[in-house]
Amino acid sequence: MTNVLITHADEPLGRKVVKALFHDGEVGNILAVGGGPPPRGFDRYLGDSGRVQYTRVDLAKHRPASELFRGSAFRSAEIDTVIYLPRHGATSSAAAPIVSGLPERTAETRLVLQNCLETASVQNLIALGSAFVYRLHPGNSNRLDEDSELDLDPDVIPQIRSWIDCDMIFHGEVHNDRMRVVLLRVPTIVAAGGYVYLNPSLEGRPGLRARALGYDPICALISDKDVARALLAALHVRNSGIFNISGTEAVPLSVLSRWTRRVSIPVPGPILRWIETTTRMFGIDARQAADGDHLRYGFTLDTSRAEQELGFRPIDRIGLARAGDGTVRLETASV
Amino acid sequence: MTATLTELDSSVAGEIVEEGLSSKPALGRDPFTELSEPDPFIERLNKLQQSSPAVRRESQRTILRSAHEPTPRAGTSGRTSTKPEHSTGPQRPIRLPLRSWATTPTLGEIELDDLKELIDHLLSDHERRVLAGLAQLVEGEAPYDRYGFSPHVLKRAFPIFHTLYRLYFRVKSEGHEHIPTEGPAILAGNHGGLLPFDGAMGIVDIALNTDPPRLARAIVDRWAGSLPWVNIFYARVGQVIGTRKNFADLLGDGQLVMVFPEGIDGIRKTVAQRYRLQNFRVGFIEQALREQAPIVPMAYVGTDDQTPILYDIKPLAKRLGLPVLPITPTFPLLGPLGLLPYPVAYKIVYGEPLRFHERFGPEGADDPRLVRYLANQVRRSVQLLVDRNRK
Repeated sequence: MTNVLITHADEPLGRKVVKALFHDGEVGNILAVGGGPPPRGFDRYLGDSGRVQYTRVDLAKHRPASELFRGSAFRSAEIDTVIYLPRHGATSSAAAPIVSGLPERTAETRLVLQNCLETASVQNLIALGSAFVYRLHPGNSNRLDEDSELDLDPDVIPQIRSWIDCDMIFHGEVHNDRMRVVLLRVPTIVAAGGYVYLNPSLEGRPGLRARALGYDPICALISDKDVARALLAALHVRNSGIFNISGTEAVPLSVLSRWTRRVSIPVPGPILRWIETTTRMFGIDARQAADGDHLRYGFTLDTSRAEQELGFRPIDRIGLARAGDGTVRLETASV
Repeated sequence: MTATLTELDSSVAGEIVEEGLSSKPALGRDPFTELSEPDPFIERLNKLQQSSPAVRRESQRTILRSAHEPTPRAGTSGRTSTKPEHSTGPQRPIRLPLRSWATTPTLGEIELDDLKELIDHLLSDHERRVLAGLAQLVEGEAPYDRYGFSPHVLKRAFPIFHTLYRLYFRVKSEGHEHIPTEGPAILAGNHGGLLPFDGAMGIVDIALNTDPPRLARAIVDRWAGSLPWVNIFYARVGQVIGTRKNFADLLGDGQLVMVFPEGIDGIRKTVAQRYRLQNFRVGFIEQALREQAPIVPMAYVGTDDQTPILYDIKPLAKRLGLPVLPITPTFPLLGPLGLLPYPVAYKIVYGEPLRFHERFGPEGADDPRLVRYLANQVRRSVQLLVDRNRK
């Protein structure tokens, strides 16, 4: 039986993972950590004989994070596995973009890893990373495996820079003798209703988005439920390492924008660069990336390592479907 | 008369055919002059042949079988095993299938919808069946494959290229029986003409003359991926940027991959170099060995006449970041229109598959000298096809 701590459980992806963990027969106690009040959907879990607990902690700050790992809730739940989900909801980073001189996501990752290493009972750390860390070459057909080059260009946009920092932080502990570390790199995550997570150019609320004129990169997709399944698969095997996971669908950015109720406007490349430079110069925390190779060049992921070592294969189809109220919207469905 | 492809194939097994070769090299800088000297690879091959007569007999039988019998094909209902059995060749490396690609139905199995759109009226039933068959190549409900190929866009583009195929370039072709009807294969051809109409005509020809229809995935240079709009069009009609990973994945999926191993050197040949193949890159040989795929040599005749280059201003092209900056009878005289191809007649010929992987196995890909030697063999095969069909 595995006892799990999961971060950002109050956000959309976290809720899906908590649900999957709750219904998994091999998972015992679940300590869900979030930045806000418990979601209403957690009522049915929290009443279940104390198996699920929820606590509010700001993981980007040193003292609250440290107190979480040394607290009574952590000890009583006998946590041996930490599932680290990064912040991905609509409120991410707007409140506290910089913590201790680091982007919030990076600071949080560093503290979670540090506390996991210092807590002897934690045997497994499973983290969700981003596949946007890879360097993209011109063209729509970047097929990337785990050994592909990371984009270490100093001019890379800040959103992706923070992902790369997090990736490198976990990368350094993948061969840790005491603790098993698994890092899952995911492409754009979509959820029923047209929600998009962890995509530098589409995340956030629906609305206008810029894309590079003359380019329409192919975007690999994965459903939120498949991400939860992949995390469970990583939980139940004994392998450590870095794994690409992805769904079966890949669509161009313009189509994905349309599916997810974003309006994408083709903008000439020089203007995009000017917008990106200007916003960066004036310290504007733009929620969406205005420039970068990922707006021009597409990629898909080679997931054969995850299939072989984790036994994970996506089962969700992603596409437009007519909802009960007659509206056509993005849906994910298991096949 | 030069050596036939069967002879060339057997030359790889150690029996070098010399009597059919002209005394004067057909190529400007013939890499095969080294064949006049004892070649350690030939010696090694001869040793291999002598040491295992059973292997040799089975290889010859395999060659004969592949030349005269169509490869068994996958079916949609009640079809049986699809892989030809080569018991003596090196085993294909075990790899997890990346995707279970939908089986393409044969043309006879495709039921056509009613004529819905203008495009449907422009195409014959045969061509509509071909397009319907190609649409089966995309798995899942999303209308794109992982490289951005869209049957919908292909359907829109097909009438244009088909018109060029029939009326402008008046393409004639032969040797379609050598294109495997299923499984991975590499089509290696000569490159010519400033604009890549040779690849487009090859793709149309293969789709129209294979049953079930196959989409050849042309490997394109990386710089094409950085061109606005061009990159989108290439991706939507099934062309793929030439990286090792893409190449291996396409072959791993059992797809037909079209390469022009001359690369950019092929399209910047001047009039004096017409139909003289430039040095071949070797990457496709490595992939053929690793992925156990046969190589089908294909020759284009007519492509080198479509835009005769009188002079290539290389220093200026390099400074401008262009692959070539030509002077032709019409360019720069007529501006960009001068780059359009003349209405020359194309002839496309497919040669017998070269099954290097059956003799050398995946480990052969790690031997640079062997890989270079085999690339030269392919080059010679294509050159012979070109020479034979120009007359």
